[in-house]
Amino acid sequence: MNAATIGKLKEIVGDDNVLDNPADLYVYGSDSSVHEALPDVVVRPRNAGQVQEIMRYANNERIPVIPRGSGSGMCGQVVPVKGGIVLDMKAMNRILEINLQDGYCRVEPGVVDDDLNKALKPHGVFYPPTPASSVVATIGGEIANNASGGRSVKYGAARDAVLAVKVVLASGELLSFGSTTRVAASGYALERLMVGSEGTLAVIVEACLRFVPIPKLRCLGSAKFNKLSEAGDAIAGIMGGGCQPSMLELIDKVAIVAVNKANNLGLPEVEAILLYEADGMAKEMIDVEIGKIEDICRKHKGFDMESSYEANERARIWAGRAKLFPSLSKYDESLASTSLADDMAVPFSKMAECADKIHEIADRHGLVMTAYGHCGAGCMHTKILMETDKEISWEHARAAVSEIYDFVRSVGGTTSAEHGIGMSKAGAFKKEKAASLELMRAIKRAFDPNNILNPGKLMDGPDDWVGETTLRYQSS
Amino acid sequence: MTDLTKLEKWRSALNKCIRCGYCYDQCPIYKETGWEADSPRGKLILLYGMLSGEIEPSDYLANKMFECFHCNRCEKACSSGVPIQDVYNDARAFFIENGFDVVGTTSITDHEICARCLNCVRMCKHEARSFVDGKVVTDLLKCQSCGSCLDICPEKGITIQRGFGTNPNELLDKVDAFLKDPDNPEAKAIVFSCGYSSHPGLRHAESDDFVISREYEILVTACSGRLKSHTVLETLERGAWGVLICCCPEDECEHGGSPRVQERMKNLAKIMERIDIDPKRLQVVEVPQGNEAKFTEATKKFMEDIRAMGPLAPEPEMAGSAR
Repeated sequence: MNAATIGKLKEIVGDDNVLDNPADLYVYGSDSSVHEALPDVVVRPRNAGQVQEIMRYANNERIPVIPRGSGSGMCGQVVPVKGGIVLDMKAMNRILEINLQDGYCRVEPGVVDDDLNKALKPHGVFYPPTPASSVVATIGGEIANNASGGRSVKYGAARDAVLAVKVVLASGELLSFGSTTRVAASGYALERLMVGSEGTLAVIVEACLRFVPIPKLRCLGSAKFNKLSEAGDAIAGIMGGGCQPSMLELIDKVAIVAVNKANNLGLPEVEAILLYEADGMAKEMIDVEIGKIEDICRKHKGFDMESSYEANERARIWAGRAKLFPSLSKYDESLASTSLADDMAVPFSKMAECADKIHEIADRHGLVMTAYGHCGAGCMHTKILMETDKEISWEHARAAVSEIYDFVRSVGGTTSAEHGIGMSKAGAFKKEKAASLELMRAIKRAFDPNNILNPGKLMDGPDDWVGETTLRYQSS
Repeated sequence: MTDLTKLEKWRSALNKCIRCGYCYDQCPIYKETGWEADSPRGKLILLYGMLSGEIEPSDYLANKMFECFHCNRCEKACSSGVPIQDVYNDARAFFIENGFDVVGTTSITDHEICARCLNCVRMCKHEARSFVDGKVVTDLLKCQSCGSCLDICPEKGITIQRGFGTNPNELLDKVDAFLKDPDNPEAKAIVFSCGYSSHPGLRHAESDDFVISREYEILVTACSGRLKSHTVLETLERGAWGVLICCCPEDECEHGGSPRVQERMKNLAKIMERIDIDPKRLQVVEVPQGNEAKFTEATKKFMEDIRAMGPLAPEPEMAGSAR
């Protein structure tokens, strides 16, 4: 990037907030995905005014701008494939207002999810989307990717929590979308359009979020199943049977074995474990909820059911799920856990079939894949464990990912439940949304006519995530 | 072309880092600067880039590897089980062997000031300091950046040039920022916490059933032994109603600072009593790593005492900017 541009950016945000050393650029060239690409410069704005100035300049000069939170996305959403300016939003991290009377908080986009919830906790409320990565994920990133988590089955995803946003357009114009009220009936819900837009439409500089009361009691239980299909039937029975769990998680046998192998937990190596939680203010109501869930599990041959309100017991029951993510990396010394086919959603009744399909495809391609997820929301996760230094592994992974998403579409599912599209899933996303791609591109042009905001993602992402992107792994 | 053979053995471990960023919240260096290359994830990415030939080794990159307080919280938080400190150690050795100019957070002796008393050589628990050719030198690979040598040097001839928020003047800047924040009228007290033992426990406490209060701010020191009496007095002078110091239990302290700070604060409490400042405004508690219950209990009692005493009045307790 030329000296004049670097100079201009330093003029806007100050010398201390601009990085162009090759080492820094390399770090900001990747996220938690398999992709990498180098930006030309990293800029850290401190306020909306600076974001406006940067956007005006970048738009005039046609320089790509990639807004970035903590870079914990798994699909390459913030990888700067066209170079340009990475806009590190983490310094805009003030909690501006906690309004208990009107039931909302206003925050800057760089606030980390856990930090917001720590601030809300003394008031007896919480911001509920909370993904597993809440220790690092920023609110801006969560909105841009429509993040959700274990308790979204009851409390919803980021899209359900966003009441209003302030954004800076590619032109530099500062606009407010939405309303602080709980209802806002008419017109296009532009604040919601920002959710899941992955930084392609505007830079979020403030968000107004709703929160909910922290339940006084939580009861967590588990049931084991000898057949994945029986666990799948139980899921559909619970979600279709009027139950309202605050969490409903599936762990399949491959995942159980991985957890046992890495942590020696001694979990029963059955075909599937369902974890269910109910929460609320009164024990009587939670008991009813847990009772209904356990009846349905029993009906579908669930066994060894146990549940507890007590914190230590809940931690013990949850241990297998808590250890799952790290266990995948420790599964085998020669295999690395990659964020591929990491996320999808299928109808409740197809959860078990989807898990079976994942295993069948993995076996056929000589890959190790597990199936787990927030099944109460229809959300399925997996990871591909493979030898990343071998080119043939990537060929198998490419085929497996494609087949998995073909299956997901065939049963009425969707490419992303909560991790987004970025580049890794752009091919599958474009197949799923084929009929509306041009409409989406028209919306993109209306917001960003020069295509400077996070280009090369979503509907403009690659069809072939292996051949058309730079992988961060070296293989031969 | 620099020979990277010795680092090749870590390629697989670096591949296993899934770059989740769960280490961010644990790293005091990253928390201070906010730049991703200062985080453990960032540093592992840099090493990967060197091995893959995508970036060249440089003094800039070398110093990143030496900017570390060795608290090892990153490794404990790593979802991929990467042996981060072992990787760093080999990388550091590589940079030294290849003649890169590194300082990082290691302690440096000013030979013009040094009185050659060799107190620092004798007391360093990590055997990182030695007397060679008439000069006290630091073994950069052994130095844990705990700052104990700075604490005991009678001539003030040792410094950690980049303290990342742990040097006394930086701590006092944070005291001011907290106590004078116009958006937080509840601000009352400062909790100084050892960065090695007690602080990880505090983070745990915050994230579970413990409710963090806007009444106090937790400021992380390196080893608590670095905390001087004048920093505590200055904190009170600048408006704190009280100071709580969380250090690790004496038998768990790897740097030797816990007994020193406890003794020092006992003496300070006596002085405070003599000048009519209630010594309960200064409390010291040993918090074993991960012991949230102990921290919760200590802060609860401390804040009850502080609230009962109220702010430090300008007269007769102490002249200054008490709120």
